[in-house]
Parts: sequence; C-alpha cells; structure tokens
Amino acid sequence: QEYSFRFQSSDPAGNANFILQQGWTESVAEMSDGRIEIELLPVETIVAHNETQDAIAAGILDGHVTDTSYFAGKDAAFGLIANPVGAWSDPQEMFDFMNEGGGNELMNELLEPYGLHFIGATTPGLEAFVSAVPLEGVDDLEGLKMRAPEGLVQQVFAAAGAAPVNLPGSEVFTSLDKNVIDAADYSVFSTNQAQGLHDVAPHPVYPGFHSMPLVEVSMNLDAWNSLPEDLQQVMTDSVQQFAQSQVAALKEADEAAVAEAQAGGEITVHDWPAEERNRFRSIAMGEWEKVAERSENARMVYDTLTGYLADNGMLE
Amino acid sequence: MSDPTAETSHVGAEAPRDEGAPVPEAGLLGRLIDKGGLIFALGIVAAMLILIQEVFLRYVFNAPTIWAHETTVFLCGIAFIYGGLYCTARDRHIRVVLIYDALGPRMRRTFDVVISIICALASLMFTWAAWTMVARAAFAPGGEVRLERSGSAWNPPYPGMLKIFLMLVLGVMAVQFVILAVSYARRGR
Amino acid sequence: MELFGILKDLGIEQSTLLMFAMLLLLLVTGIPLAFVTLLVALVFALGWFGPMAVPLITSRVYSFVSSFVFVSVPMFVLMAAILDRSGIARDLFDAMRLVGGRLRGGVAIQTILVAVILAAMSGIIGGEIVLLGLIALPQMLRLGYDRSLAIGVVCAGGALGTMVPPSIVLIIYGLTANVSIGDLFTAAFVPGFMLAGFYVVYVLVRAYLNPALAPVAEGPQPTRAEKLHLLKGLFLPILVVIGVLGSIYGGIASVTEASAVGVLGVTLSTIVRGEFTLTLMKNAALQTLQTVGMIVWIGIGATALVGVFNLMGGIDFVKTLITGISDNPTIVLIFMMALLFILGMFLDWVGIALLTMPIFVPIIRDLGYDPIWFGVLFCMNMQMSFLSPPFGPAAFYLKSVAPPEIGLGHIFRALLPFIAMQALALAVLITFPGIAMY
Ligand code: NA
Ligand code: NA
Repeated sequence: QEYSFRFQSSDPAGNANFILQQGWTESVAEMSDGRIEIELLPVETIVAHNETQDAIAAGILDGHVTDTSYFAGKDAAFGLIANPVGAWSDPQEMFDFMNEGGGNELMNELLEPYGLHFIGATTPGLEAFVSAVPLEGVDDLEGLKMRAPEGLVQQVFAAAGAAPVNLPGSEVFTSLDKNVIDAADYSVFSTNQAQGLHDVAPHPVYPGFHSMPLVEVSMNLDAWNSLPEDLQQVMTDSVQQFAQSQVAALKEADEAAVAEAQAGGEITVHDWPAEERNRFRSIAMGEWEKVAERSENARMVYDTLTGYLADNGMLE
Repeated sequence: MSDPTAETSHVGAEAPRDEGAPVPEAGLLGRLIDKGGLIFALGIVAAMLILIQEVFLRYVFNAPTIWAHETTVFLCGIAFIYGGLYCTARDRHIRVVLIYDALGPRMRRTFDVVISIICALASLMFTWAAWTMVARAAFAPGGEVRLERSGSAWNPPYPGMLKIFLMLVLGVMAVQFVILAVSYARRGR
Repeated sequence: MELFGILKDLGIEQSTLLMFAMLLLLLVTGIPLAFVTLLVALVFALGWFGPMAVPLITSRVYSFVSSFVFVSVPMFVLMAAILDRSGIARDLFDAMRLVGGRLRGGVAIQTILVAVILAAMSGIIGGEIVLLGLIALPQMLRLGYDRSLAIGVVCAGGALGTMVPPSIVLIIYGLTANVSIGDLFTAAFVPGFMLAGFYVVYVLVRAYLNPALAPVAEGPQPTRAEKLHLLKGLFLPILVVIGVLGSIYGGIASVTEASAVGVLGVTLSTIVRGEFTLTLMKNAALQTLQTVGMIVWIGIGATALVGVFNLMGGIDFVKTLITGISDNPTIVLIFMMALLFILGMFLDWVGIALLTMPIFVPIIRDLGYDPIWFGVLFCMNMQMSFLSPPFGPAAFYLKSVAPPEIGLGHIFRALLPFIAMQALALAVLITFPGIAMY
C-alpha cells in the first residue's frame, strides 16, 4: 500500500462499535484498491480517550474515531456540536445537518486550527438510558441520582431536576448494583444489555431521549493533504457508507437485545411518549444557549444549528 | 542533617519514629522540596474530607455536588506527581540494589553520579515533552491563553493546571538530579 | 549517523527481546524503578520513532495521575499510616493472637482473612498491600513469625483484592470483552476464595511441619479479665470494617468513596483512644505522600512503556505469536496462559490487557470457550503477575513500606511458593471450569 495510517478508536476491543469500525478500515482498503491501509487500535492503547486530538496533531497517531464531546474542555463548541441534546430524534437528521446544513464545514472550521481534518460523522444512534427505577417522563427525573458524562448532557439533566453524579465508566456497574446511583447514561441498548447493566438496573428507557453522540472520523491535516484527491474522496465516501451501516447494524442489535430483554421477563423497557420527549428537549435547548456563551466558536455552532433547525421547521 | 518534619510524636506505646528526611546531597532544593511536601500531603487529607462530605450530601440530602469528584481527582493527581519529586529529594524511590550493594564505595559513587545524570537527562527530555502538551493545553490554536478545561458541567480548568504542574515538576526534578549528580561527584573526589 | 529510527530496523521481535533485556539490565544497576521503565520507554520512543513520539509518554503520565480509580490508593495508604501511628494495629494483633489461640499459624491465617475483607472493600491492590505491609507485617514479625511466611501472606493476600469483587481487573476485562461485569464478579468469587484457601492450607502445613515458623503464645493462659481487655482491641477495627463495607453494600458510597470512609473511621478511632494529635495526622499525611510517590511512579513508568510498545506494533506482534500455534483448543489456551505469565513478569496488568485482550478474546470465543470463564483465568493469571519477578508490583508496594532490612531479593524469594499456589489455582480452574461457572 502507498498510505498506511494508525487510528485509535474511543471504544474497547470487544465492543460492537469497534468491530463495526474495523469493518470500515476493511472497506477503505477495498475502495482504495489496497492503496490505503488503516490500522485501528482500541481505546487507550496509545493515549487516553481524551488525548487523541493532541496525539494526532503531534503526529503520534494519524487519526481517530471518537466522540467529539471528549474535547469539550478544549472548546465548548466541541461539546455543543457533539451532543446538542434534544436536537435529533433520528441519526439521519444529524447526518442531513452535517451534509447539507453546514455541519461538516463547521466541524472543519473547528478542527483545522488544531491540525486535524474532519472526514465525516457517524453515531451509534440514540443511546438508551439505564435506570434501576421506572421512569415514565421528565417529572420522574426529579432528584434522580444519576451518572452523566461530562458536558451538556450533565447540564441538561441538572436543569431537568436530576442530581447528576460524576462517576467514571468503570464505576457505573458497581454503583448501580449497590444503589449508590439510580440511573446512568452509558451506551446503546445492546451494549448495556451485553455488559449486564440491565441485570442491576432493570428499567431501561428505550429508545433513549437524552443523547446521540457525534462520533467523528478525523485525521492529521498534513496527512490528509498528502493524499491525492481520489483517495480523499475514498476516505469521505467510506465514512458516509460506514455511518449508514453502523446505524443499521446497531439498530438491529438493539432490537434483538430489546426482544431478548423483554422475553426474559425481568426487565421492563420503558418508552417515553412524544410529549415527554418534547418537554425534555425544551429543557435541553435552554442549556444550549448557556454553552453558546462559553466561546465564540460555541456561539457559531449555536447559530448554525438553531438556524438550520428553524429553516427546516424543526423548532416548535 | 536535621529533619524538619521529624517532631517526636508521643503516640500509643510506640517509640518516637524516624519520619525520614531529604538526603544531604539533595542540597537546598531538596530541603525546599521536602518542606513543600506538606502542602500536597494536606491536599490528600482535603481530598478525603471532600469525598466524605460528598457522600454525606448525596446520601442524606440527595444533593451531590458537581465539583467534589473532579476536585478530589485533581488533589490526588498533584499529590501523585509531587510525590515523585518528594521521593527523589529523599532518595526513596524503590531501587534494586543487587549489584549496587556488592560494589565498593568508589564504584558506588560512580554509579550514583551516572544514574543521576541519566535520570536528569530523561527528566529534561520529559520536561520538553510536557511542554508540547502544555502548549496545546494552555493556549488556543490562535495563540491566546486559555487553560484546557474538563468539559463537565462545572468545567474547571484542572486539566490545563495539571499539565502545567506536571511540566514544572519534571523540570524541577531534572534540576534536582543535576544537584544530586554534582554532590555525589564532589564527595567522590 | 541517524540514531532515531535505528531500533525500528531491528523489527518488533528483536526489539521486544531487547526491551526486556534492557529492563532487566537497568533494573539491577540500581536506577530508581520508576525511571527504569520510563528510560526504556524513552529509548524506544526515540530509537523507533524519534523525538515526536516522546510526548506520548507525558500524555500517558497525565492520564494516569488524573484517573479517578487511583483516588482510593492514597486513602488506603493514609488509613495505614494513621493505624501505624496509633496503637490500634498492635492491639488488634494481640487480640487476634488470643482468638487464634493455640492454632499454629493462627495470626497468619487471620491476616489472610483480613486481606479477604480488605479485598471486598477495594478493587485495586496498591493500597491494600501497603496497608497490610504497614500493619500486619511488623506485627507478625513482632509475634515471632517467619519473615518469608509473613511477607508471602501480605503480598499474596493483598493481591487477592482483584480476585474478590469489586475488581478493577474484572471491570476492565468486562469492558474490553463486552461481557457482563456482574457475571464476572460472580464467577471470580469462588476461585478467589479457593486461592485464599490454598494460602491458609499452606500456612497450616508449614507451621505444623516446622513450629518455629509460627510461634503460638507461650506461658500461662491469660485470665478472663486480661482476655476481655485484649478483645477490646478488636472492637474499633471491626467497627471501621462495618462502616466501610456497610457504606459500599448499603449503597451509601461508591467503592472509591468508601476508602475515604475508612480513613474517617480510623481517624475517629484514634480520637476515641485519645491518641489523635495534629502531629500524628501531619506525619501520616506526609508518609502517604511519600508512599504514593513511590508506588504511583512505578505505575507511571509502566503505563509509559505500554504506550510506546503498542505504538511499535505490540498488538500485531502478539497476534503473530498466537496465530497458527495449534488446532487443539487446549494447547492454544495453555499457550495464552504461558504468554500472559511471561508478559506478567515484565509488564503491568493494564498493559497486558490492552495488548492481549483484543486478540485473545475473539479467539477464545471462536474456540467455543466461555469468555466469562476466560476472564477469571485472566484475573487469576494477573495474580501471578503482581508477584512474579523481575517486575512484581506487589513486591515493590511492600518494599515501599517494609523495614529497610527487608530487601527486594528477600521479598521475591518469599513469594515463590505463593506464585506456585496461584499457578496451581489456575490449573485447577482450567481443569474444572465448574469452579467459576457454577
Ligand atoms: Na476487590
Ligand atoms: Na510480575
């Protein structure tokens, strides 16, 4: 091959996302007739999940497949574009924004100063919410002790009346098991099911209402510029295809896992009615505004996003 | 060498204990590092108290804070980093002395000098590497100063502070190893 | 001559051997341990890639020290340092000797029991071994126990922390292999107790074969009043244990937070006993700073080395080692275990998990083995890695607090029979999977 790149994923090796991402590297090899080879490494193998951006800029890694919100500490804009809680009720809505609403250009405007090129977006889809107690709507969030990840998601839950607890992913299981927390933002339904979270928290909310992360595929800007145009096109196209196949594959896995969970009889899957989802969304949008105050870039993301949503009649 | 921290404690039935001290070869810097240890040691105690109050607020009042865990991690993180420097000044890093112990006093000095020089060079290299990290954590791409934050709802600048602190400690560590090398070399003559 | 990249020409196989040789060589020269691994990481970062790769080391150092799970380490060490400065530990062991009565090795067996209780409180081993090393080791030596036996009980007992839930090893394995952490915890429970049982039997056999190794209390039986007085020594420690375990299992505190509850407990105990002074607290905190400085920096070096080895293509290298080894599943499994053991001599368990799990777990599934069971095997194998020379973290942790006359050579020699027992437990678990998969 002519080009050989090393990418790091933000998912661990056995995770369904990682396995699908490996499929993407294979399709890149195929689509480029073997001219590009990508070695995909699991999370933490070279640097920590939230250090890949620096490592790519420094040339230690060539690229990453990672949740953009891990870089919210670098610029609040990353946090807002990565997970505008409540904006999307379906992965395709986000992809449309990225491709036609200026999202891709926005991402590159944010990333290129850091020495990265944004190739494309994917997502595991709407995450499911893990809960040990039945939750039927926003009112049930009042006082709920829940683990939320960094950033906007946590802020939104706090605004909705929950009591977010900072916990690392590695302590989610034991803390749910021992009722230190009642609920947690974790991953998609099938992953939650595989890792046994529903055994200790049998009231998942599915489909989720709170989070659909933007997972960026991006690489070192110089390395990108060194690629001839046809190979750049291969990279871009392959990510687009991958995003579609990942969403489809995970949806299928989620549905199978939901069926399995319901057949088991010990897990109750809760589905929020549309009005409760709308209530949560309007709480979330109040928080976007606050994030927009944090940096000029965040304001730019806010304006682009709300402009797009308004143009497409997606704001009430 | 008098130990600034070894005040006798009359505790239980135990005899007054040796609380350790910086090695004489560490010089003035070593004594300063040793004194500074108290700040970070108290940081660990503070981290403990913060965790307790967090448990209390969450369990009793159902009101967890948004700052306790991040602050605890930060306090422990700076203690971990400083602890390495503290052990350097006290020569308390664990060493395998299999060969070292079999050497005569002259060779031991030579070993001490060479080891200190090697460690100084390594620390210097790591200081530079930490600087490249700080350059991304303390400055925005445009060049204006902005500390990297955690990205949480509370969003403290702990990551940026911790990276700067790591760089500073590595730099001081390099200097400490140079001082040790010089002291050992002088004693050897 | 261009030095940067020169190691790359050697290839990964030669470089791996060179790396292990260099680790060994630098280790015996007396360079501080943390710097041995950091130096090797630096040499390979420069020699394989050049200066641009060096920031990877500081990035890993930063991530390592800012990780929430390590917060429990200073808490356990602080607990130990306070206990060590009060009379609590002494009274506890006097009482334990009384409870142990005329049973040979009674105090060592009770120490193993204490280790199991600690294991239920903590998911990582650093703090536990320091705690046992500061408290149990000097007390066993005071009571006339054989030094090697006492060292082995402390290190092997402390390492049980990852066999008994909660366990960070099992959690990381569960995340990597995408299997249920609860199932892993359940599966590891009995094997953990089995291993502790092996240690108990070993202590009994050694003590009865050679009574000099574990003296029992001589002289007249203490009077009732004396007995009651001695037993008071058990009261406060048991209260602290109830407080910590109660806060975890009662859903009051997370595992990490519970370690702070433990510190509060022992501090209150010293106050109750009238031993508390600000000087005591200050000195305990300073000792904590020094001890975590030692043990965290060992971890810092290890994490740096792993990052560099992975960047060199370590994962691919492990893959080439394992592919085509045999068609016989048992041989593949045993080869994996042997590889884990060898890696365990030199690398930290997190590094081993990162290197091997992406390759091993899919193979294990293909061979038709249960990944949960394999997780328990992995965890058991890592028990050995904590103890095995030349890089045995448990030995280093103990050394950081042991009396200066106890050298690393003594510690490693004392650990050999315990490593053999861990290997035996692993073999039993492979032969009778039902022990984990009941
Ligand atoms: Na444990
Ligand atoms: Na080892």
